[in-house]
Order: sequence, then C-alpha cells, then structure tokens
Amino acid sequence: MPVTLIGQSVVNILLLSGVLTIVALGFSIVWGVMNIINLVHGAFIMVGAYVTYWLFVLAGVDPFLSIPISMAVLFAIGYVLQRSVINLVMRAPLLVTFLLTFGLEIIVINLALFFWKSDLRAVTTSYSGSSLSLFPDASGNGIEVPYVKLAVFVVAMVLTLLTHLVMTRTRMGRAIRATGMDKDAAQLTGVKIAQIYAVTFAIGAALAGAAGALIATSQSIQPGFGGSYTLRAFVIVVLGGLGSIPAVILGALVFAAAEVLTGLWQPGLIQAVTFGLLVIVLVVRPSGIAGKAFYQ
Amino acid sequence: MTASASRAAGRFREDRLPLALALVALLIAALIPVMGATGFAYRTLTSMFLLIVTAQGWNLIGGYTGYASFGNVAFFGLGAYTTAILMDRLGLPFLITLPVAGLIAALYAVLLGLPVLRLRGHYFAIATLGVAEATREVLAWATPITSGASGISLPFLKPIDFAQNYFYYMTLGLVVLVMGLTWFLSRQKLGYSWAALRADEDGAKMLGVNTTSSKVIAFALAAMVTGLAGSFYAYYNSFIAPEEVFNIDRTLQAILASVLGGAGTVAGPVVGGVLFALVNTFLIFGKPFGIDLGQFHVTLLGIFIVLVIVFTPRGVIDLFARSTREAIRAQDSRGQGRLRRLLSPLTGGWRAAAKILAQNVRQFRV
Repeated sequence: MPVTLIGQSVVNILLLSGVLTIVALGFSIVWGVMNIINLVHGAFIMVGAYVTYWLFVLAGVDPFLSIPISMAVLFAIGYVLQRSVINLVMRAPLLVTFLLTFGLEIIVINLALFFWKSDLRAVTTSYSGSSLSLFPDASGNGIEVPYVKLAVFVVAMVLTLLTHLVMTRTRMGRAIRATGMDKDAAQLTGVKIAQIYAVTFAIGAALAGAAGALIATSQSIQPGFGGSYTLRAFVIVVLGGLGSIPAVILGALVFAAAEVLTGLWQPGLIQAVTFGLLVIVLVVRPSGIAGKAFYQ
Repeated sequence: MTASASRAAGRFREDRLPLALALVALLIAALIPVMGATGFAYRTLTSMFLLIVTAQGWNLIGGYTGYASFGNVAFFGLGAYTTAILMDRLGLPFLITLPVAGLIAALYAVLLGLPVLRLRGHYFAIATLGVAEATREVLAWATPITSGASGISLPFLKPIDFAQNYFYYMTLGLVVLVMGLTWFLSRQKLGYSWAALRADEDGAKMLGVNTTSSKVIAFALAAMVTGLAGSFYAYYNSFIAPEEVFNIDRTLQAILASVLGGAGTVAGPVVGGVLFALVNTFLIFGKPFGIDLGQFHVTLLGIFIVLVIVFTPRGVIDLFARSTREAIRAQDSRGQGRLRRLLSPLTGGWRAAAKILAQNVRQFRV
C-alpha cells in the first residue's frame, strides 16, 4: 500500500471518528443514565440536519452558525417528548421502551416525509469542496483534508469537551449522573427524577441535533437517512463501552477504522463487518473496551 | 351467588372458552373462501396468516423466554432465499424446499444463538438486529448464488384460482400447526423451563434448569417457524429481493402483533395478528369522513404502536380477561340475579376496562 493511501486512510478515520463521536455521545448518555435504547436518535439527527438546511436555504445562515439553533430546537423536542410520553414507561421492561421509541421514530420520519418529501437535499456553501493537500508529491497528489470536515472535527471535539464539563461541573450534570448511578438514592436526596430524565433526554436530542447539523455540511440529506446513524451509535457505544465520554471517543475511533478499512476492501460488507465486530466484542468483553457499570 | 358456582363459571371460562373460540375462529376462516372471497380478501388474509406465524415465531423466543429478538427477519429472509434458490436453480418442488427452509433457519439460529444468547437485555436485542442486517448484506453481496440486489423470481403456481386457495389453506394450516406446537410446548418441561428463565435466569440455573439448551432450542424453534413463513412468502410472492425479505419492519410487525395480543401466551400472536392486520388495512385503505388515510398510513401506524405500548403493555387478552373478571366481581358484590351476572361483562366491562387502562398508564411512570 502506498504511503499516501495509508496516510489518507488515517486522516479519513480521524475525521470520521470526530463526527461519529457526536453522533454516539447523546445516545450513550441517554442509554447510560436512563437505560433506554433511544431509537428516535437517528430521526433527531435528521431533524437537526433539516433545521440547518432550512436556515441555510431560507435565511442564508452558515451551517456552522446554525449548530446552536439546531441544538436548541432538538433540546425542546426531546424535553417535551420525554416529559409527555417516554416518562410514562420508564419503569417498564426494556421491550416496552424499545418499541415506544421505535414508534416515535416512525412518526417523526413520516412527518418529515410528509412535509419535506423524500428529495435529496444538500447544503452547498462557498467553501464546500475545497481542501488542504498535505505532503503533495511531484504531480500535486497528497493527503486530502477537506476544510469542511476538518472544521466538523474541531467543532465535534469542542462539543464533546463542553458536554464533559456540563456533566461534571454543573449541578444539573451531577444530578444527572447521580440519577444514572442510583435513581432511588438520588430521589431521596431531593433530585426530581421526572425532570432529570426529561433534561437528560433533551441533552441527548440536542447532541443529535448538533450531529445532524455537522452531517448536513458534508452529506446530502433526506428524511430516512438517520436510521443508519442510530445503528452506528449503538455499535460505537457497545464497542467503546457504556458509561463514559472517553469510551465513546474510543468506540468512534475503532468503528471509524473498521468502516474506512472495510470500505477499501469490500464496500458491500461494511455492516456485516461492523456488526460482526460488535458481536465478537459483546461475547468476549460484554462491558465494551473501556466500559463501566454506570455513567460517570 | 355461591363460591362454587363462581368457581365453576371461572373454570368454564378459563379452560374451555379459548378452545371453543379457537375452533369457531378456525371454522370461520376455513369457510371464508367457500362463501366467496375477493382477491383482496385472499391477499389480506393470507398475509395476515403469515404475520400470525411470524408473530408466534417471535413469541417463542421473545414472549416465552423473554429474550427480545429484533433480528427474526433474518430467519424469514433465509427461509425465503432457501426456497427461492432451491426452486429456481435446482427446480425442486415447493413442498420439498419448505422443510429445508425451516431446517436451515433453525440451524442458523443454533449457530448464532450459542454466542448471542449469552447476551441479555438491550445487548441481545441489538446484536440480533445487527446480525439480521449483516445477513442481508452478505446475501446481497453473494451475487453468484443469490443474484444480489436484483432478486430471484420463482415459478408461478397456476391457475390463479387454485393458487389463491392453495396459499390460503396452506398458510392457515401453518397457523394451526404453529399454534398447536406452541400450546403443546408450553405445557411441557421445556415450556416451564422457559417460564423459569424468563422470571429469573440465574435462579433457574441454580435450580438445575439447563438454561443454555432451553434458550437455544427456543431460538431454533422460533427460527424454524419464521423460516417456514419466509419460505411460503417467497413462493406466494413469486419474487424476492434482499431489501424486501430482510426488511426490519417484518420483525417489528411480528413483535407488535405478539405484544398487542399478549406476549408469552399461546393465543396472543393470533389475536394480536388479527387486530394488527385489521388496523393496518384500515389505515392503508380506510377513508373515514372522506379523509384518505393512505398518505398518513405509516405515521398513524407509529401512533398506534405508541398507544398500544402505553395503554396495553400486557396485551388486549389480558385487558379483556381482567376487565371481565373485574366486572363480574363488581356485580357479585352487588348480589343481583343470575342473568345480570352473566351480562355483567357487557354492562360493566367497559368501566372496568377504562379503569385498567388508566392503571396501565400509571404503573410504569416515574
């Protein structure tokens, strides 16, 4: 394998792992704290992408500037959904929450299909498509680093750091983690569980909204595109292990490597390889590569 | 009303009534084509029978053992592909490919189940979901054998009148067979071991239940049943492609039908399957007040799923049985005549059902 190809693959893996970290982060927090597999997650990503798209098309807002707006919109949707519907089944067996979030996903995706149709849409800015060329050889072919993806990577890392700070340094974050560790004990110390669940779910949705905005900068979108991201988020969280933000980053890195390398070899088998990896990790090390028992 | 009469009535309801109802339902189902059915009715009912079979297949693993498989469509697809390949490439007759399809699906489940059934809860659910996706991808990729994404066409069964009746009665027969199998197994040692491991797997293991073999057998049976449905589907539809036979919606419809009726019961998937088919058909073709529901079909289906999950997480049979008992008890406490008591499920059942629905909504909330 030529050096450029190796270098390009490493760059691709790193860039992909950045956006995948944000894709999986909200999913991991919701799962870790509330023990819910949130199948609406991908639909939230889709809505976030559409918020960015419409702001760009209708108001000319730069996709990177619309990230906070996407996050705010999804935060509100997530809060209302958890408060009004999902809180009703929080003590139910897992099949119930699983099916409920699946039903909600169907509703969100099909409402999007109804209002926005199934056309592929893309956010094309003046700087889309230009890229930095590292170590160019005589004919000018080097390792390509698209500026947009580089910016997405940086934003993703900043958001991950911010999430970490919110979860560890704020009163709300500590209450969320306490609820994840032992909800009865948290309740005894005065934490309002129903409220905390709603905020946790809203944070997960907001992160999905950010992921959607970031994805919209470099990929065409349509109402059904989020579903594959739900599955990816799941595999990443399992690979890394449930319960901490570094585990999500690690999982995203391993997953991105599997996806990029399989893509070079047999693009038709990406899911077979990643899910094969998932089953192996689950069987050999059920708590994931760096997993813990609860959210920290 | 004396206690012994009440007990006798209870025994009648709980032992004989389901069997009687099942026989009546079977009789009606068997007579529908004789009384004259349209092509639409044939298609709707045959699809409903296949849905009931896949629902019962899911029930064997998800309902009885509590292992919520989200990848049962893998067995459906595998069964469909087995029949398609054997009929199209080797020219074998359908009835020979049918048991092979069931067997291959069961074998796949054993190979898969040994590692995957060690996982619990969410992990099992998503691992099976992922395995189903991976199976689809591998079959779509193995173009020399499966023709990849372009799919396989199967020979038609002719003439069309005969084919309609053939598939109708064969799938109905499969429903009866699968029901009988589930009923029989649920009364065997195996069925009790499933109940034990669903209630407390570690406890069951401690008491000497071989949980591994009992889980793997349940998974293999579920796969066999689902594979048979897939095999029928391939011949019935006379064309299959990966995206279609491995569509995760099939798994979810099976789960929903099972949960709607009552997971972990013999009758649950049948009652749930019929209800689901009714609602689904109405949502596709129904035009209440001149509003064409078809365009909102999937959205409304999603709302239906949410309502079912929130209001009747234990299924409608449970709701019906509990509200009937509740109504009779209420009537007993008022102590009026025998006729009133017999009619009490009709007169008081609604109020009791409303009360139970309200309880259901409250029971799992934080």
